Amino acid sequence: MNEALILATMRQRVTSPVRMVLLASMFFMPLLFVCFAPGVGLEPLSNGYGLTLILAAGIIGQDVSSGVLQLVLARPVTRREYVVSRWLSVSLMGGLLASAQVLIAWLLLLARHAAPGPAEAFSRMGANALSAFGGAAVITLFSTLLAGFGDLAILLLASFVMVGLYGIGELVHQDWVTRFAAELGGFLVPEIPLDPIQRAGDIPWVAIVSYLSTVTLCLALAIVVMNRKEFSYASSS
Amino acid sequence: MPPAAEPAGGTRRPPRTLLLIAAVLLALRIVLVVYQVLHPAKPHDLVSWQPIAAAGNLSAATSKPILYDFSADWCGPCQKMKLELFSDPDHATALNRTFVPVTVLDRSREDGENAPEVAELESRYHIGAFPTLVVVRPRGDPRILTGYTDADATMRWLAEAALESHRHAAAPDSAGAKP
Repeated sequence: MNEALILATMRQRVTSPVRMVLLASMFFMPLLFVCFAPGVGLEPLSNGYGLTLILAAGIIGQDVSSGVLQLVLARPVTRREYVVSRWLSVSLMGGLLASAQVLIAWLLLLARHAAPGPAEAFSRMGANALSAFGGAAVITLFSTLLAGFGDLAILLLASFVMVGLYGIGELVHQDWVTRFAAELGGFLVPEIPLDPIQRAGDIPWVAIVSYLSTVTLCLALAIVVMNRKEFSYASSS
Repeated sequence: MPPAAEPAGGTRRPPRTLLLIAAVLLALRIVLVVYQVLHPAKPHDLVSWQPIAAAGNLSAATSKPILYDFSADWCGPCQKMKLELFSDPDHATALNRTFVPVTVLDRSREDGENAPEVAELESRYHIGAFPTLVVVRPRGDPRILTGYTDADATMRWLAEAALESHRHAAAPDSAGAKP
């Protein structure tokens, strides 16, 4: 972990006008829904993944295509430090934004006497923060594979494959195909539902193991891919 | 300015510990998924379902509307609804308190035909897809919800149906409906 890299990444992300416009619309639009239709509760809010996706898109690929990465790695920064710092940076930003969104929505609902219990709001904030950390790990791995915004292309392709497999599984009544599609979906959008813990005290062990497996696997593979890359001022990638 | 020192072990040290943890977690994940596939968890239904024949009398005695749940064993969304709605203690308690719940299981795909009372109810409410929830009020038309999205939306719909049922029950000159 490298504090300078984390702060530099945060600065880089917030100085992109397109990113900020997308981020603002994804942050405030659901709050408007909550404001004008309090009956819907916290439902219109995003789960943290969308906000993180906007922040994390091109997290490493953009550095590769712009040539910044060669300069960063010219300093004695280990590649694992670089990967982990980039992931941590967007995860923290995404998690904080998603949690802040839930908090604001809950306060708005509280003012209109339509707020769910604080336990539900805290559970939602926790789940959103976890979703941000998980989603950022997936995007970080994809971003090491292709330059620029290639990570979004991989994510889109994998999502199409998942939907296609799910449809085929339902069509031919093959449970293992739909289960594989569900696992692929769990890999692409890692999350831990905290509702069962909050409602009945049931700990979703499978979801926890799946989430931790996805995050560690993505980060480990991202570091391995980065270690194998050769960067020079003359190379194109 | 002196040159920055190279980190010990070089800048490309393989993440051995992280890879080991990832491998262990991946193996555990595969084991858990295989176990889940081989031993699927059966949802514990907490709703006090009533027999079809007794529903009319119970509804009249308690002044509660009847909630018919039309479902089938092969229907995926029906199982999801059972898991998320009927196995949830809060939702099940609310359903038991508000309605006379009756489950109507379609067996036409498995057995070739349905029991007469099931066929009669499906015909009466024009059931063409599963799951379908029908709230039959003592007075007024039945309310029908086809399909299942999530527990909260379904509970909202059921709460509205129950509220409407109470309003109709309180109204003196409404048309009656056969339960």
